Amino acid sequence: MHLASLELRDFRRYVHADLELGPGVTVLEGANGAGKTTILEAAAWVALGRSFRGVPDATLVRDGAETAVVRAAVRSGSDGVGRHQTLDAELRRAGRNRVLVNGHALARARDRLDLLRVTIFTPDDLALVKGGPAGRREYLDDLLGFLAARYDAARADYEKVLRHRNALLKGGLRGADAQHTLEVFDEQLARAGAELVRGRLRLVGRLEAHLGAAYAALAGRPAEVAGRYEADWAPDGIDPDDAEAVLRDALVALHRREVERGVTLAGPHRDEWRILLDGMDARTHASQGEQRCLALALRLGGHAVGRETIGAAPVLLLDDVFSELDPTRADALAAALPAGQTLITTATTIPTAVRPERHLRVEAGRVLAGAA
Amino acid sequence: MASVYEGPIQALIDELGRLPGVGPKSAQRIAFHLLKIPPEDVARLATTIVEAKRQVTWCRRCFNFATGDLCTYCLDERRDRTVCCVVEEARDIVAVERTHEFHGSYHVLQGAIAPIEGVGPEQLRIKELLARIGDEGITEVILATNPNIEGEATAMYLARLCKPLEIRVTRLASGLPVGGDLEYADEITLGRALEGRRDL
Repeated sequence: MHLASLELRDFRRYVHADLELGPGVTVLEGANGAGKTTILEAAAWVALGRSFRGVPDATLVRDGAETAVVRAAVRSGSDGVGRHQTLDAELRRAGRNRVLVNGHALARARDRLDLLRVTIFTPDDLALVKGGPAGRREYLDDLLGFLAARYDAARADYEKVLRHRNALLKGGLRGADAQHTLEVFDEQLARAGAELVRGRLRLVGRLEAHLGAAYAALAGRPAEVAGRYEADWAPDGIDPDDAEAVLRDALVALHRREVERGVTLAGPHRDEWRILLDGMDARTHASQGEQRCLALALRLGGHAVGRETIGAAPVLLLDDVFSELDPTRADALAAALPAGQTLITTATTIPTAVRPERHLRVEAGRVLAGAA
Repeated sequence: MASVYEGPIQALIDELGRLPGVGPKSAQRIAFHLLKIPPEDVARLATTIVEAKRQVTWCRRCFNFATGDLCTYCLDERRDRTVCCVVEEARDIVAVERTHEFHGSYHVLQGAIAPIEGVGPEQLRIKELLARIGDEGITEVILATNPNIEGEATAMYLARLCKPLEIRVTRLASGLPVGGDLEYADEITLGRALEGRRDL
């Protein structure tokens, strides 16, 4: 799949921009603050239905406008020559957003993924490696939801059950009724949690080979990248077939402490996926450069798993990726860029090995066609 | 929405806006409609609301709406009292009745367990259900709560309570909508239907 064109209207600082795009690498070049990332944000919004920066949709509407519009012409299909289809997104400052596929309202939010999927890397992704476990859990769960709708549902179910259970625990659990209710939510938490954990474990297994390959290509040296899924409720490791029973038993054993603390103390919301580089915890032992490479490898690995699953490469959006890498690693990335469509923003020159198909200059909220 | 109308108009909009499913825009539209129509039409609506509220109470047995002591289903002698379909709300009875497949009795819980909203088993008509099982000779309880987190939790809670009573406890199946096309089924429902597949 690829974006054949992208049109922005009243989206952040853009009054209007029309970009001709196509397969291969497109470089968006411009000074800091020119609006390069905004182009990627618009493309990602169409695919995800939200900003990858995590900001509210209303803030994406240009000051002075009521509605922002992003219109994407998409070529779907594994070879990128499939039908031309359009995705229109209207973001309103107040009221409901609207997404149209070929002029028709989208029946289900997920249906847009049949047309367009994106993998996005931003410099903030360093936190995936350097930060706490929450970011890595989110990375896994986002990727899971991207791969199969049931995991979006499992995640939403889990979060809901967790909120109910925490509310119950905060209430102090007085009386036999409350005790029985807690047991019911133990069971539900274990069921939804085990589903989520089984998905994470399968994903982690599939990711590992891709991570290693992506990292080795970027770092220019063979390296052993491994992920270790750790759960306090299963200290000896998780048997996927047994996860539900083990988690439920762990919750039952924690009841007293949980009532004291008023929160759920075991489950996938507290698990850790530790990334090991040559056997050492990358969060604490890897250098800044290695961590950057790993963060990028995480996104490229997820990209590869996505391509495997859906049979077509998602559109790869790389925000300001070269400024973060030393020249050797930048060259390595250029050589390792997967086939398919890639949009790269940069404030500096890009390595010669990139060989872009298209070169666009971005200046103060305007897109100018540049010399290729 | 800020108060931009004169006292009584705004008060009406505010009251209407408190109704379920009525947003600020709808509240405003209904209010303007009421102010435009003849006074006798408004009076009729007001009387109807007050009268309905005065006459309609809960059925003493199943907690469906009733205009007397018992609701229509509890008064109907032809219904099978040994099977009881447990639903969250009175409106769910209407949905089950439309099938014309069920001829047993009902029990309305008047909600579902939802600790986030502060609803526990004690706020629901659960004690009353247990009393009925003992008194009425119910042999099967069909748990027809909604297939969401709260409905499932409520069903699970009830199933545990009913277990020692040695009665049959069943739960509605979840699966594909009949008459629909497979290609239009959402992935979650289709996934559940695959999980619950049967041998032929």
